[in-house]
Amino acid sequence: MVNPIYIVAIALGVSFAIGVLNKLGRNFTGSLVLAAVSVMTFISYQWFAAFQFGEQTAKMIYTAGFMPPLSINLLMGHYEAFITLMINVIGLIGGIYMFNSLKKRGYNAQVIYLVLLMGLNVMVMTRDLFNLFVFLEISSIAIAGLILLEKGTRSMGAGFKYILATSIISGFLLLGIIFAYYFTGSLNLDDVVAANLSSIKGGALAAFMIMIAIILEIKPFPANGWGLDVYEGSDVGLSAVISGASATASFFVLYKVMDIAGVEWNYYISIIGAITFVGSNLLGIAQKNTRRMLGYSSIGQLGLLMMILGFRDILGEQTPYIAFGILISHYFAKAGLFWLSGIVKSKSLKGWSNIRKKPFFLFLMGTFIFALIGFPPFPSFFAKWTLVMELVQTGNMTWVIAILFGSMMEAVYLFRWFGYAIKGENEHLEDFKIKIHKITPVWIAAIGLYVIGYFTAQFTEVGAAINFIPLAFVGLLLAIDFLPVMIKNTIAITGMALHFYFVYPELEGDTLRLIFEGIFMVGGILALIAGYAYKGKRSGFYPVAILMYAGLTAIIEAGTTLEFFYGWELMTAGSYFLIIRGKRSMSHGLSYMLFSIGGAYALLAAFGMAHVGQDSFAMDILNTITYIPTWAYGLLIVGFLTKTAAVGLHIWLPGAHGEAESDVSPMVSAILLKAGVFGIVLTLIGMGAENNQYSELAYALGWLGAITALVGNLMAIFQEDAKRLLAYSSIGQLGYIVLGLAMMTHLGWLGGFSYVINHFLYKAVLFMTIGAVVMRVGTHNMYEMGGLIKRMPLAFLAVMIGIIALSGVPPLSGFAGKWLFYNAILDKGWYFQGAVMFFSGGLAFLYLWRLIHTVFLGQLKDNHRNVKEISIWFLIPIYTLIAGLMVFAAKPQWVLQPMGDMIAQFFPTGQLVWDGGTAISQYGYWAGSLVGVTIGASFVFVLFWLLVSTRKAHKVKQFDITYSGERPERPETTHVAYNVFEGFYQAMWIATIPMVETFWNRVTEVLHETAEFTRKIYSGNGQAYMLHIVFFILVTYLVIIGG
Amino acid sequence: MDITSKLIYALIGLLIVVNWGMLMSVTFRKIGARMAGRHGIPFRQPWVNLLKNISTRTIITHGYMYYLGPVFRLSGGIGIFLFMPMVFTGNADGLWTNFSFQGDLILILYFQVFGMLGMAMGSGEGGHPYSAMGVARGLAQHAAVELPLTIAILAIAVQFDTFSIYKIVEAQQGGFQNWVLFTNPFASAAIILAMLGALGHSPFNLVKAPNEILIGPATEYEGTYLGFMMSAGAIIHVMEAVLFMNLIFGGATSWIELIIKSFLIYFWSVFVGMVFPRFKIEQSVIWFFKWPLGFAIIGLLMASF
Repeated sequence: MVNPIYIVAIALGVSFAIGVLNKLGRNFTGSLVLAAVSVMTFISYQWFAAFQFGEQTAKMIYTAGFMPPLSINLLMGHYEAFITLMINVIGLIGGIYMFNSLKKRGYNAQVIYLVLLMGLNVMVMTRDLFNLFVFLEISSIAIAGLILLEKGTRSMGAGFKYILATSIISGFLLLGIIFAYYFTGSLNLDDVVAANLSSIKGGALAAFMIMIAIILEIKPFPANGWGLDVYEGSDVGLSAVISGASATASFFVLYKVMDIAGVEWNYYISIIGAITFVGSNLLGIAQKNTRRMLGYSSIGQLGLLMMILGFRDILGEQTPYIAFGILISHYFAKAGLFWLSGIVKSKSLKGWSNIRKKPFFLFLMGTFIFALIGFPPFPSFFAKWTLVMELVQTGNMTWVIAILFGSMMEAVYLFRWFGYAIKGENEHLEDFKIKIHKITPVWIAAIGLYVIGYFTAQFTEVGAAINFIPLAFVGLLLAIDFLPVMIKNTIAITGMALHFYFVYPELEGDTLRLIFEGIFMVGGILALIAGYAYKGKRSGFYPVAILMYAGLTAIIEAGTTLEFFYGWELMTAGSYFLIIRGKRSMSHGLSYMLFSIGGAYALLAAFGMAHVGQDSFAMDILNTITYIPTWAYGLLIVGFLTKTAAVGLHIWLPGAHGEAESDVSPMVSAILLKAGVFGIVLTLIGMGAENNQYSELAYALGWLGAITALVGNLMAIFQEDAKRLLAYSSIGQLGYIVLGLAMMTHLGWLGGFSYVINHFLYKAVLFMTIGAVVMRVGTHNMYEMGGLIKRMPLAFLAVMIGIIALSGVPPLSGFAGKWLFYNAILDKGWYFQGAVMFFSGGLAFLYLWRLIHTVFLGQLKDNHRNVKEISIWFLIPIYTLIAGLMVFAAKPQWVLQPMGDMIAQFFPTGQLVWDGGTAISQYGYWAGSLVGVTIGASFVFVLFWLLVSTRKAHKVKQFDITYSGERPERPETTHVAYNVFEGFYQAMWIATIPMVETFWNRVTEVLHETAEFTRKIYSGNGQAYMLHIVFFILVTYLVIIGG
Repeated sequence: MDITSKLIYALIGLLIVVNWGMLMSVTFRKIGARMAGRHGIPFRQPWVNLLKNISTRTIITHGYMYYLGPVFRLSGGIGIFLFMPMVFTGNADGLWTNFSFQGDLILILYFQVFGMLGMAMGSGEGGHPYSAMGVARGLAQHAAVELPLTIAILAIAVQFDTFSIYKIVEAQQGGFQNWVLFTNPFASAAIILAMLGALGHSPFNLVKAPNEILIGPATEYEGTYLGFMMSAGAIIHVMEAVLFMNLIFGGATSWIELIIKSFLIYFWSVFVGMVFPRFKIEQSVIWFFKWPLGFAIIGLLMASF
């Protein structure tokens, strides 16, 4: 085992050697630096491996042959080995990245870089306070030196402010150390800790000074203007090292010295951490400069880490796991992003839209952003999960709220930025070149995140249970993204089919899960079949589509709340990418993501509450929530309602579904929304199903469902865009489902479930058909279409069947839902909710007729005279789904009876009685099959009669119409389509004012204005920054020590 | 009762209903004419029209949906008739109950739309702008009528704890004081007002709106198609009156009672139509959201407490 002192020795030796050898050229000296860092990395790794995989115990290294306090001692323990490894790894790959820029600045810069790393290493290892001070100074000066060696006034200013700030901080540190030495007679950390400074009179001041200096090193909000200027003004390579290595080292130093101050500081550290985390992320929203924004994010993440340190008594033995997960994610992700920003060069966020000229860049950027926010499979996901679980477990809900709020703010600006990259305007942006030595570190960071994420999961029992195979399949699809659609689509379909085949036996007998898994998998396969209609590569589509399905199936198969949450987040990520693929989808993608993340956090908090007082994370802990259960169930419901787009949380849906690609709309509408429904079903079962104790919650949910139905259907009427019309219709339909489930009765659930199946079937048919039509005619606007029945008879027939089913007109399957709902309403006594719902059902006729009439009926537009029938690849899944609808219509008992048996597990009373094919409830009866026969027979009879009596009918053209003695002018002016419901609008306009949108816009404005206002404290003036530091110290002093 | 005799009785009933519907329509045309001081059309006119229409040789077609429009309309009308228990005989499976054992009130409420929707689509393929205008107006008004009507119907269902029309009629037997009209006057008031919209006479006749958009949805139809539609119209008018009769006027225990009651119900809408001029869409929609809706809500509250 190499003595860790060699880390210092090598760094120093090489630094001095470069002073002599610099004549050999900067390439040589640069390589020498890298070689030195490699050796340092190796030493750290060797120790780390020995700790991790062997039996190694912590080793104290004494210098100069004396024991402390006479000499300086270094400690190489498990944590030290790991942290120095992190520092050296980033030093190495960062050094590769900065090779040219260091070279340009001369061998002095190369030396300083090495000294910086050495300083950070010693900061981590040293157990001597003065030594800590010295190496802190060395690293600070090294950073300042590297900044000042750059050209440009910006970096000059930043470096100068940095020196000023760090000198104040070190002044305090030095004073603190002097006092500590005065009181304890030792500089050795362990001795000082043992002396228990805070119990000595005046010792508290010494502890305060040391602590405040170290905390200031981490750049707490708001005394961190100097740090932000460094992130913004310095070379990006250096920013990556500051963010990855320097911040990591400072964090570890805080961990070390915390023992000096004693446990009472824990609370204050958490507070400072929380303020930093929330404040930085809030201000991040106002940033337009990429690097400064990343700086805010870095500081925010360090704030979160400080919080975790402050919680170490609460978190107990989980602390390292949590801190590690957050730290390593931030470390790789932030370094990666800084490196990327050095390649892309654009300083403004909007300028990042040119990165999609290189698609793998999006993958890298996405990896880092998702890792920062804490999505699976990254370490931060597992760490955040554990953090929240532990905090809730110990009754610290307030902290959880702060953490989730801060994370939400971070998501706002990171995903806005990502949106610019994926979808922003990029025509006039200059291209950029990629050099191999710059992109390699980025790839290493990205791959590191995935690999470490996987291992992080394995660390806990509950994480190890996660099935990563679907995710690996996503990786495979990503790897073969260069292949044509035909092959990838076939592979994707095969993969899904195989998965369903293997999962089916596990789910057999569990009808509830089977229904949803069937919708997700069979629906997914059908929607994928439509993908054959696309040509070329369809770059990036398959990995994200399968990512969504991987998440969906994980939700169904989840045995634990962690697996559920894991699936939920995968599904969110996949669907986000699917949605944002659509044209003009930038803002919709963002609002979808933000609502989803908000919802996910509500779920996370609720899962935490469910875990309180339980040993396991099994899904059935949701059935026995004891810790503020009304809130827990309420949060679960809110979380799931973001996905079903209940009114208030629905504003993302119309745009997201409306602008999505033709085969994506059915995926995100007919299929994805059911995930939210599944969640609500689980929650309601958890609430006790028939023995539900939370009737006020269910009552509120019921009204919410009814109003959602009304709003969705009413808004659908006034859309000119066919896909938005269908999107609003989905909102309404989901409202029915929510109302049905909220009734918490057998019939209510049966009604809700029949809508789940029906909505899946007919909304998939409608969205796919309309999507396919849009692909042919090139517009979503219904008034730009018309008369297409002549060109697309099969598409028309599909839509006709779809709308009859949706409207609930017998004999098609939609009527089952209506009939069940009437009975359920009477049974439950929710007459007025029912009335709102039935009125909404009446409104559906308006938009359904509008859809079919303005697109397919009326007069054909001249430019559509030669369009073809929709693609066969769309017709196949569409007619398969129609076959399903028809089976449901012909034999409703085949669907409703097993579903009733399943629901009877939860709601045994009030079941339907089946007399053959006749359903009999307490209130009425309905013989679905016979009704079909009766209607069919009279239809055929009348048709036959008409056929006989009009066999000599003369076929005329579409435009040959009787017109009161005039001749109609042009088809365009004869087609009634635009604003058809004007009269109805004049009566109803007051109900169509978008109050919810106004509300959320106002929330956004307030956030932005707050961020903008607070941002003004960062005047860029060095003196002001000094003042911030002084104020920060003063306030902290007053709070902690008291006046 | 076995299915064959049910079928035979149903066919006889249908014949009665079609002819009664045509007779009613001509009666009201005559009443209208007399009020205007004219003589009016002869009583045989509807049958003459029907014959003329069915035997036209110059028939055209605009395509398959256009062709199916009248089929939807007429089979929709026939369907409503088949699902409606016409005459109350004290036996749920007795004479003139047709095929009402297949479904209850909800089936009828939703099946009404079958013919409307089919005809709306059929006339859409006809390509005439007046058709589309008529349909758009009709749907808007239908939605507005639905609200008070649904709430009032719910009130009745709550009152009798059933959706079975037969049971609702049964509960109203034994004297007019048992009619919903008297047991739940508010729900009945809502239905009586909403009925005006459902029957589609002035002031709520903006679907057809004579002199404005020709005859609305049916503008492009003639010949046999029109004949079918007129027959369907005759059936549907009678059936709507029968539905309201069953719901609030105690049903009918004989065909004579049915004819008298349906005549009076229908006459109510004609009477209003003679007096009031046509509403615009927004006026019509808002009107249904005022008194009818208010009555319906009170009616439902009365039934539920």
